This record gives sequence, C-alpha cells and structure tokens, in this order.
Amino acid sequence: MDPLSLFFLSVIFLISFPSAVYSFGYLKNEASGKKQALALSLLVLFVAAMVWVVAARNLVVFLVAWEIMSLVSYFLVVFDSTQEKSVQAGTIYIVMTHLGTAFLVIAFLIMSKYAHAFDFASVKAACALMPEKTKNFVFICLFIGFGTKAGLVPLHIWLPFAHPQAPSHISAIMSGVMIKTAIYGIIRFVIMLLGVDSIWWGVWVLVFALISCLVGVVYALMEHDIKRLLAFHSVENIGIILLGVGLAMFFLSLHLYYLAVLSMIAGLYHLVNHAIFKGLLFLCSGSVYKATGTRDMEKLGGLIKNMPVTAACFLLGAMAISALPPLNGFVSEWLTLQAFFLGAGNVGSAGKLFLGVGAGLLALTSGLAAACFVKAFGIIFLAKPRSRQAQNAFEVSFSMKLAQVFLSLLTVVFGVASGVVIKLLAGICAFVLEVDATQMNFSLNNFVLSPQPGNALYLSPPLLALLIVVFGVFAFLAYTFFGNRKVRVFETWGCGYYKLDSRNEYTATAFSKAFRIAFSFFLLPYRKTQKIRESFYHVKSFSYETHTTPVFRKYFYDQILKIVFRSAKFGRRMQPGSIHLYLGYIFLTLLLLLVFMHKF
Amino acid sequence: MQAVILFGVLLSCPLMAIAKRAPALVRNFRLQSFFLFLATLSLGAGEGRVDLYIIAGLLFLLKVLLIPEILYRITRRIKANENIGLFINAQLSLFFVLGMMYAAWVFSKAMFPFAAVLKTTLLAAAFCVVLSGMFLMIFRISALAQIIGMLVMENGIFLLASTVSGGMPFFVEIAIFFDVFVSVVIMGFFVYQINKLFTHINVNKLSRLKG
Repeated sequence: MDPLSLFFLSVIFLISFPSAVYSFGYLKNEASGKKQALALSLLVLFVAAMVWVVAARNLVVFLVAWEIMSLVSYFLVVFDSTQEKSVQAGTIYIVMTHLGTAFLVIAFLIMSKYAHAFDFASVKAACALMPEKTKNFVFICLFIGFGTKAGLVPLHIWLPFAHPQAPSHISAIMSGVMIKTAIYGIIRFVIMLLGVDSIWWGVWVLVFALISCLVGVVYALMEHDIKRLLAFHSVENIGIILLGVGLAMFFLSLHLYYLAVLSMIAGLYHLVNHAIFKGLLFLCSGSVYKATGTRDMEKLGGLIKNMPVTAACFLLGAMAISALPPLNGFVSEWLTLQAFFLGAGNVGSAGKLFLGVGAGLLALTSGLAAACFVKAFGIIFLAKPRSRQAQNAFEVSFSMKLAQVFLSLLTVVFGVASGVVIKLLAGICAFVLEVDATQMNFSLNNFVLSPQPGNALYLSPPLLALLIVVFGVFAFLAYTFFGNRKVRVFETWGCGYYKLDSRNEYTATAFSKAFRIAFSFFLLPYRKTQKIRESFYHVKSFSYETHTTPVFRKYFYDQILKIVFRSAKFGRRMQPGSIHLYLGYIFLTLLLLLVFMHKF
Repeated sequence: MQAVILFGVLLSCPLMAIAKRAPALVRNFRLQSFFLFLATLSLGAGEGRVDLYIIAGLLFLLKVLLIPEILYRITRRIKANENIGLFINAQLSLFFVLGMMYAAWVFSKAMFPFAAVLKTTLLAAAFCVVLSGMFLMIFRISALAQIIGMLVMENGIFLLASTVSGGMPFFVEIAIFFDVFVSVVIMGFFVYQINKLFTHINVNKLSRLKG
C-alpha cells in the first residue's frame, strides 16, 4: 500500500460505512427479506471491488477488479428491477462503462507490450522509454476510459440515469466514491506510470474539466428530480476535482513543482469533500424519498417541519457543495482558485489568459451551484407542502439519521480542520508527483492556510467559523434585546389574496426560468402547449410544458445510434435464412483462403 | 494405370455437375467411389500394404455398394420428385466445375512447385473433388443433393489425405468410414421425415421458417 492507495481506501470506507448503516433503515419495509440480504451482500461486494481496484498493483488485476466493480454497480442500478426505468438506466450504464473499459484495455495492452509484464513497477520503467506518439495515444485512451467512469462531459450521459435509479445509499457510494476511482486511475496511470511531459495533456484535462463543471451545473439547475439534480452536480464536481489534477499536470510539465503540489492538494481535497457532501446529500434525498415516495421536487415542500434533522443535514450538505465558509467545500474550491491565480502569475501571457478564464469559469460554476441549492432546499423543505405525500411526511428512522448526522459533522470537521488535512494531503501529493515537499509549507501551525509563500495571503477556517459564530451570537443578542419581540401569528402575506394554497407557490421550474433564458443558447428550451376546447369560446383545459433539449444526446449519441442501427439493418441482409447462401459463404471463404495462401 | 484411374475420378465431377435427376447423381457418385477404390487398391498393390487392402475393401463395401443403395432407396421411397433442382443450369455448372479444375491445378502447382507432375495432378484432382462437392451442396435445391455433395467432399478429402501424406492412420480411416455411414443413415432418415412433413425436400424453402 502506498500513500495514494491508502488515501483512496480511507475515502471509500469513510463513505461506505455510513451508507451501510443507512441502508438498514432505508431498505426496511422497502423490499423482502431475501432482497435486503441480496442488497447487503451486493453492497459488500461493491465495496470490496473498489478496495481491490485501488489496491491492485498489476494491470490485469486492476482490470478484473474494475470490471467486477462495474458489473456489481450495474446490478445495484437495476436492483429495483420491477421499474422499467431502472432496467433502461442499467443498460445505458453498462454500455457506456464497457465502452470505457474497452479504451482502458487498449491502453493497458500497449503499455504491457512495451513492458513485457503487467506489474506497475515494470510498466513504469517501460513507459519512460515509450515514443512520444505512442505515449500521447495511450494518454487519450486512458483519458476516455477513465473519463467515461468519472462522468466527464460528453461521456457523462449514463450518470444522470444510473445514479438516481440505484437505491439511495448506493447512489451515495456510486457518486461519492465509485466515480472517484476514475480519478484514481488518471492519477495512477497518467501521472505516476505514464509520466506527464507534454503541456497539452494538462490543458486537455483542464478544458474538459471546465466544460464538465459548467455543463453539469447548468443541467442540474434545470432538473426537478432531486436525485438527478445531485447526479448532475457530480458531473460538475468531478470537473472541479479534475481542475486540480489537470492543473497539477500542467504545472508538472512546466516544472513548477510547488504549484503542482498545491493544485494536486486542491484536487484531492475536493475529492474527499465531494465524497462527503455528495454522500450526505444523496442520503438526505433518499430520506425524502422514503418519507414521501416521490423524487419530484414540484410535489414536495414544507418538509422542514416534519423532518427537521434531515432538513438540517441537507442544508449543511447544500452549503458545503455551494462552497460557503467555513465548510469543507469552501476550502477546496478556494485552494483550486488560488492555484489558478498563483499559476497565472508564473506562466506566459497565453497561459495567463487561459488560467484567468479558467478561474472565472470556476467562480461562475460555484455561483450557479449555490443558486441551484437555494432552489433545491427552498422548494423541498420550505413553504407549504405541494402534495398530500409531502404533507404526511415523517422523520426517518434512527439508523438513517445517524448516517446523515455523521456525514454532516464531517463537512464541518473537514472545513475547520483543514490545516491538518492539508498537511496529510501534501505528503500524498509529494509522493504522487515525486517531488520533495518537506520544504513546502501550506499552513501555519495547522491553523491558518497560506498557499502563497511570500504573499500575505491567509485563510483560517477555524477563525472564520469563530467569526461567524460570534457574529451570530451578537446578532441574536441584539435581536433579543433591541428587536421587536412581539410575535404575531398570521397567514403569510400573499399580495392581498386570501385562501392561498400550494398551487400559488413558487415552483422549481419558475425559479430556474432566469437561468433557462440566460443559457438558452446551450439548453435550447422549447415549449409544448395543448388546448382542449369545448367551443371556440370555452377552453376546457390548457396544458403548458417546457423542456430543454438534451444537446449531447440529440446531436451526438442519437446520431451514433442511428448509424449503428442503419448498418445493422444493412448487415441483416447478409442473413436471409437460406442454407445455400450460407454454404456459399463457406465456399467463398475457402476459395479466398486458397487465393490468400497462394499469394503469401 | 494411375493416370487412367485419376482420369475416372476427375471425370465424375463434371458428370455429377450436369446430372439433373437424383438417380443419375447417385450413379455418378458410385462411379467416383469405384475409381477411388481402384486407386486405393493400386496404391496398396504398389506398396504391398495390408491395411490399404482393408481400407479399399471397406471403401468398396460402403461407398460403392451400401451408401448408393441407401440413397437409391430414399429416392424411391419419397418418389414425389426425382429432380434435384438446379440453381444454375447444367451447361453453366459444367463451366464452373471446369473452372474449378483449372483453379485447383494452378493452386496445387503454386503450393508444390517442385513436386513431381503426378503428385501435383493428384493434389489438383483431390482439390477439384472437394470443390465440386461444395458446389453441389450450394447450387442444388434438393436435400438429397446436399447429402451427396457432402459425401463427394469426403471422397475428396480421402484422396487428399492419401496423396499428400500417404493416407491417414488406419484407425482414423476406419472411424471416418463408420462416421460417414452413420451420417448417411441419419441424414436419410431426416430427409424422409422432412418429405413426410412438407411433402418436398427443397432446402431453399427453409427460409420460410425464419421469424
């Protein structure tokens, strides 16, 4: 076990244990006893496969573990096999994941061809002697292979289908941990084994990471299904993690070792943070689903009254993913931004422009994520219930609450104790990048982060937390002593109308309308209206739907599918069912072989 | 002597290609098998090997007497139609087989450029027999023609083995004879059943079974 594997191992267990605890409450009354046992054993197998993936020291072993992980997660996606949606999602998932594995196999075969062995040590030695062109080709194959698993745009297509269909504790593990194994793959195979020596590799990773950030968050804003929303946020956050990794590759090829270590720390920090808060959010959304039986945000609302613990946990997770201080998401995104800024000061003018634009886009992404979670929290937990199920919701069982509270505490701990975490990560990153990091200081006294040596630029999450608490206390005291304390219980002000019900409430669609218009060049929204009239003057019903065009699916995947189906139809003509024709094929093959033999 | 026998084996190929009715096809097959028997016998006499005599005897018993007799019986039993049905008419089939003969000759010459002429010719003849068996299977409609085509191919392979490597091991040869005999019995039974079920044995109509 080297530090990198240990790091990923701890991330796996950090999320898997609470998820397993959660699953006891979640699956109760949901499935039969046999099916619960099956779920638990699949969960154990899934975690074991992931452990195996990060522990493997051999290309073939890695591939086998990788495949087991994919297959077990497929079974978990189609766990609720009575729903046709699950089966469909599973099919999309397994096709995409095998596409990725195919590229991995290509890359591994080329690597092992040069090494004449499969173990990492000899592969590493062989990769140093690989010609430039082959190296680039292997990099592209690895990037596509791992990018598919990570859910990078445009290979993300399976993620918003598969993650929501799995049971919620599995979604938490898949989104929190499984897609991170792809990051592990990129770090292990591209940075450590292959070795980065072209600048364009880092740029390439950065470009795709930025696209993933923006596309993920924009799609998440448009989503009303709470778990699909979270799945799109996974695309976004994988982008942010890869920004750190890509920056590390970029700086490594420019021999800016300090910056490379800093960016890698930012990437790995965001990785563990994302695992925590995305796991938390998926568990909370599972609780909401368990309590109300729906994942459609438009049918929820007012849950904070019936489910206070879940609401508090969801709020913490939402704040963390929106990068609000002093929670963990803030620290890692701040570090990534610092890496961008610090890098811009050390490269040429084109690099300055590129990194500047990257930092801007990252800031835009965080802003949009915050907007998205204002929508998610507001619509799900605040206001009046929008349906009977939401009205009758009740708080979930103890084991589920326990897992949620544990993970929400972690979001605070990883924010406040960032000085310690960053030191641990510095060691791992120094190992990964093969840089001596003993002279590099990223924090003062485990208390204040200081990523820019020389510049007086500090961040102290504990102090920040203290400041927030103190301000809060002061505000509360001021309110208690000087505020208007007379409490009046009255209906909410509703523009002078009375008898307002949930139908008058703001909806998720309405909230995201502004963003739909702002990003209409990409989302291509369209509307469908249908009037049913009794006569010209009397409209009996009027329906209005608004949709956005799934650009990647329509203009990329559907086109590919069309070509595949067309060629399959053409190929079918070869097989008309005539025995004579089949015999003729054999005969022709024989003749061709004879000619072939004659020629050579 | 060898040349005459070889000529007989080769001659039976175009004869089979132009046969339009099942009895004619079976007769030509019997002719080919007989020449093959003669070839094996002369090889055995030349080398004085007992196992070759036994193989020749088996060949005569099975391929000249028994199998053609079974095939005759099938044609009589199903009686509906003696035509084997040609996808390609007799003249064109003849051209095809002659073309294949030439191709086999070119091929065997290319394969063993320095071998004796007799050996090359034998190889070419064997190839030609295999190819014409295949030809029968593809371009004839009746299931009976397919059985005979397969048997002709088997003859060709026998010839190939005995020319290239001086015959297969004795026990292998015996096993193959047994296989061929059993397969003819089974296929005959199937053809009979197919005829009973569909009132014909036209294989090209099997595509109707397709879903």
